[in-house]
Amino acid sequence: MATLHIDTELFKLKNSLQEMWLLVDKQLTKAQIAFMEYDKAIAREILSREKMVNALELKIDQECENFIARNNPVAIDLRLALAYIKINNNLERIGDFAEGIAEFVLRNMSEKLPQEFAEKLRIEEMFNGVSEMFTLAKESLHEENSAKAEKIFGLDNLVDEINHRSNPIITEEMKKHPEKIEEYLYLNAVIRKLERMGDRCNNIAEEIVFYLDAKILKHNKSV
Amino acid sequence: MYNIDVNNLNFYYGEFHALKDISMSIEKNSVTAFIGPSGCGKSTFLRLFNRMNDLIPDIRMTGEVNIDGRNIYDKDILVDELRKEVGMVFQKPNPFPKTIFENVAYGLRVNGEKNKKVIEERVVDSLKGAALWDEVKDKLKKSAFELSGGQQQRLCIARALAVAPKIILMDEPASALDPISTLKIEELIFQLKKDYTIVIVTHNMQQAARVSDKTAFFYLGELVEYDFTEKIFTNPSKEATQNYITGRFG
Repeated sequence: MATLHIDTELFKLKNSLQEMWLLVDKQLTKAQIAFMEYDKAIAREILSREKMVNALELKIDQECENFIARNNPVAIDLRLALAYIKINNNLERIGDFAEGIAEFVLRNMSEKLPQEFAEKLRIEEMFNGVSEMFTLAKESLHEENSAKAEKIFGLDNLVDEINHRSNPIITEEMKKHPEKIEEYLYLNAVIRKLERMGDRCNNIAEEIVFYLDAKILKHNKSV
Repeated sequence: MYNIDVNNLNFYYGEFHALKDISMSIEKNSVTAFIGPSGCGKSTFLRLFNRMNDLIPDIRMTGEVNIDGRNIYDKDILVDELRKEVGMVFQKPNPFPKTIFENVAYGLRVNGEKNKKVIEERVVDSLKGAALWDEVKDKLKKSAFELSGGQQQRLCIARALAVAPKIILMDEPASALDPISTLKIEELIFQLKKDYTIVIVTHNMQQAARVSDKTAFFYLGELVEYDFTEKIFTNPSKEATQNYITGRFG
């Protein structure tokens, strides 16, 4: 059977979202490097790229709107359009968090985080956890594999746990270095951002399962 | 409580097995849409509900069609009586070459109603019921052919309502109409639902999604899926249904 017009439109939509994934993936990876290596040049690079993320978000929203208006999608096509709108929004928010981390590096960080402190906070592990969730989400959508998307929910627990344990560690460090209290307050905010990124990956996984299996997992994670 | 209950229905045109072992219950005061590609049997099935297939030569049928608990294919059923209970509206508006008033009064007169006042009342009520009254109240004596296509279709609905049926069958009632007239027919279907049971055959997926409570998908004489319309159009159970409603068929 010849390719249907609606499939051509879907292909375009998928390509646009793929572009968004790649862009946000880059922001996320670079944010980790900028933070871990205290690299201001990379942080500035992230800020300049953020505008592209915002522009692409608007473009995809508009493409989804046009797709719905012109094709009156139903069933799996409708679920795809609805899921894409939400995934797009979540990706943009992940981009915002990466921007927030870059801003921390530029404005609030005075030096590379001491290795011992970073290890105690398990912050690299947190970055890696978020990256893994992000990559799994990207792959599961690309492969249309909902079982893979469901793996993300388990990984979020690790990120949550690290976040949960960070408060006393940072408080202790503040006591040791009162001159750095403000910087550490911002550091605390960075950890929250990472935790929120994990949540956003979770949301994306929920949307992928909704699109592929028509299962609604929001507010109810018994897969 | 079901208005229409079909049990193990098989229908043949000569050797051709047009409907294959169909069982289905249609609730009172609901709108049910039949969808499926041309030749899938949906119109044949619809026409069984008021025995419109009876006169086609070389047909054969097994199974039951119960309306209000009575099998309408029982020997003692009078077809004229049945069709008073089960009205029908067709794809193309088919008003009689008579005045607007007489089109609606026709069924009453055929059924022996002679009281002028009763007839007048019923005509007015039916035209109101079909959302046509305001547009025709000043030209009841004019020919029905002076009306637009959409108005003619609503006149046919008024004609069906005049004999006070319980069920209204609609075979693609809006396919020959422009979007505004289509919308009027669809609005009318919403309103009529509270008093009638409506079964509609449509090729327009969006129309089925908009107007019906339940949707049945037919393919090659089989009832593939029958479920709540929301379910069919967001997450159908069968792949064949999904392929059909998303336009990826064949």
